[in-house]
Amino acid sequence: MKKVVDVSFPIGPVHPCWKEPVRLKCETKGEKVLQAEVELGYMKKGIERIMRGRPWQEVMFLAERVCGICSVIHNMVFIEGMEAMSGIPVPPRAAYLRVIANELDRIQSHLLANFSYCYTIEHETLGMYLLNVREKAMDLLERLTGARVNKAYMIPGGVRFDLQAEDHVIISSTLDQIEPDIMRYTRMFSEGPLIGLRSRGIGILSEVHAREAHAVGPTARASGIRTDLRTQHPTYQKIGFSPVVRTEGDNFARVMVRFQEVAESIGIIRRCLDGLPEGLIRSGGVCGAGTITHRGEAPRGELTYYLKADEYGRIVDISIQTPSIMNIEASAHYMIIGATSLADVTSTFISADPCIACTER
Amino acid sequence: MGFASFAWYLKEFFRREWVAKFLFVKTAPLVTPPFFRDVPTLTEKECSHCRACMMICPAPGAIEVVHGGGVWHPEIYRGHCIRCGLCVETCPETVLASGRILSVQEADGTSFDATYYIQVDQTKCMRCGNCCVSCPVNKEVDPQMGSGGYSSNDEVIMRIEAGKHHVIHEDRCVGCKTCENTCPNTAIRVARVVTAHQGEAT
Amino acid sequence: MSLLQRVKNVVRSRSIHVCFVDVGSCNGCDIEVLATLAPRYDIEQYGIYVHNNPREADILLVIGAMTPQWEDKLPALWERIPEPKAAIAIGNCPISGCVFQRRDTYVSAPVAKFIPVAAEVPGCPPRPTEILSAILSLAPTVFKDFEERRR
Repeated sequence: MKKVVDVSFPIGPVHPCWKEPVRLKCETKGEKVLQAEVELGYMKKGIERIMRGRPWQEVMFLAERVCGICSVIHNMVFIEGMEAMSGIPVPPRAAYLRVIANELDRIQSHLLANFSYCYTIEHETLGMYLLNVREKAMDLLERLTGARVNKAYMIPGGVRFDLQAEDHVIISSTLDQIEPDIMRYTRMFSEGPLIGLRSRGIGILSEVHAREAHAVGPTARASGIRTDLRTQHPTYQKIGFSPVVRTEGDNFARVMVRFQEVAESIGIIRRCLDGLPEGLIRSGGVCGAGTITHRGEAPRGELTYYLKADEYGRIVDISIQTPSIMNIEASAHYMIIGATSLADVTSTFISADPCIACTER
Repeated sequence: MGFASFAWYLKEFFRREWVAKFLFVKTAPLVTPPFFRDVPTLTEKECSHCRACMMICPAPGAIEVVHGGGVWHPEIYRGHCIRCGLCVETCPETVLASGRILSVQEADGTSFDATYYIQVDQTKCMRCGNCCVSCPVNKEVDPQMGSGGYSSNDEVIMRIEAGKHHVIHEDRCVGCKTCENTCPNTAIRVARVVTAHQGEAT
Repeated sequence: MSLLQRVKNVVRSRSIHVCFVDVGSCNGCDIEVLATLAPRYDIEQYGIYVHNNPREADILLVIGAMTPQWEDKLPALWERIPEPKAAIAIGNCPISGCVFQRRDTYVSAPVAKFIPVAAEVPGCPPRPTEILSAILSLAPTVFKDFEERRR
């Protein structure tokens, strides 16, 4: 007589699909998942505690090492927070260069997230194609800022290096090379029959559940919630852009939202390069005392920095809220429940793009 | 379903340019592009041991200005350096070089500027004199400073006198934070206020 | 040196299985290791296969600054990897703690206090070209004459 057993199935810290250590414990009945719990805490370094008492030129490097994948947005939100707190103006050319760096970082982060997803559903070929295109975006970042991953490009008052004349042409021509590739891979992903089998209708997050779990970023935008903090940033409002929203709420929608955001980012960078104003890139300003809460749109969602500084510009108190914890909550408590096969658990979790290093600083 | 998806994959992956690439492409050689900010190397300029590089370095223990082989020079430790390039930008004598930071800095006319404030928490200070003895500016001004931080020279930055810590010449401080690293109590703190300028610093 | 040992040396230097463990990093070095898998800096053409299974690994890549939660787990993981094995520390974090090694930190660098480390690749993060040249220069020597050295 066949008995259906309740098994607590751990998907452990060291796993071929996870790039970072996190433990996902699923309670299953047969292969159907009834409940899931996420165990975090394998990567806590106490970054916020180390940041206390340090001036901006040291906190900036700690902030961008909270997460190596989305390091530009941490840098940007921290520096913009310090500027708003001390009333330091930013020259327009520097603001446009910041947007270019931010969007290039968003392109490489989304391509990495989609590579992660394709690797998890065992479609390594498409994953390797995406990783190859990502290298071209990393080349552009290296040309603009001098480093590939931890760039430290933005400082209070502007940016560190200017865009040299020959790099302007190189960036435009590389974007012209990247765009048809991205369109082809998006088409491959949306039309591939086996990819569709494993992604359409799997891990559905309805809009009601997304609001309950406070999902942010592409995870929320794939469930029909129209929220993107870039619409409230003055430079983005000047350049003009619209968020990408889909309504299906399954794995397929989340990955497609990221592909469409990559195409949107390429458009934003092109508009920035066309309208790049002339002028200085640093305005010189002294960081002073104050308290502020500043927000930005990381590739994974909404990022919040709460800063408090003393009269010499040293951080007295800092608190960072990263987007991934809300997406992990949405994924573990809403999307995975009811999955009919354990193979779908890993792909659903990865499609919400968890960044565990962000979550536990 | 079976044959249709198989045919789709065959059509998608066996395109002419893919087959050509598969047969003739070579992987990229393992070279570093010239504009990558690597660990800074020494140029031929003379180091004036102003210690601005030590002041601005965000990684603990990465750079030290030492007197080796009869000449002052900064010494960088690869296992600690995070290759941020701030020391290259700050050095007034352009002793360090990395990637194309120096040429970009000259083309843009950018620079860093800093002021320092020494703060001593008198309730935590043990008057051990570690800060006074390890301060490199103190060592140059008064080579005969006593081991407890006592000095009869009035040109030192700080000294222990009559059982208390006195800061005499705060303007001579170069912000290298050596005193912070040697204080056992975190009683002394040097606030380094750095601003970034372009063009003539106002 | 017997013929069997010579065959073993040749085979071991050309087919290396890698497992990487992230003991508390910022993910920067992690994605540079993934970038070595990309077709541009193809690491699989040298016979180096990056899967993530400690039971089948020859080389363990340790990434990240040592956090307190891993202080008992990393040596336990190291015990589970079958001989011959070697550990490589990637990035500045397992060597010196990088920017996290300050006064009030939870991090206890270096990682060599907990497991024996055969090589180090400094950088924050090191470029894929640097990781690749470090692994390639290490491949012929790390397992050479392994049985004879053990004796």
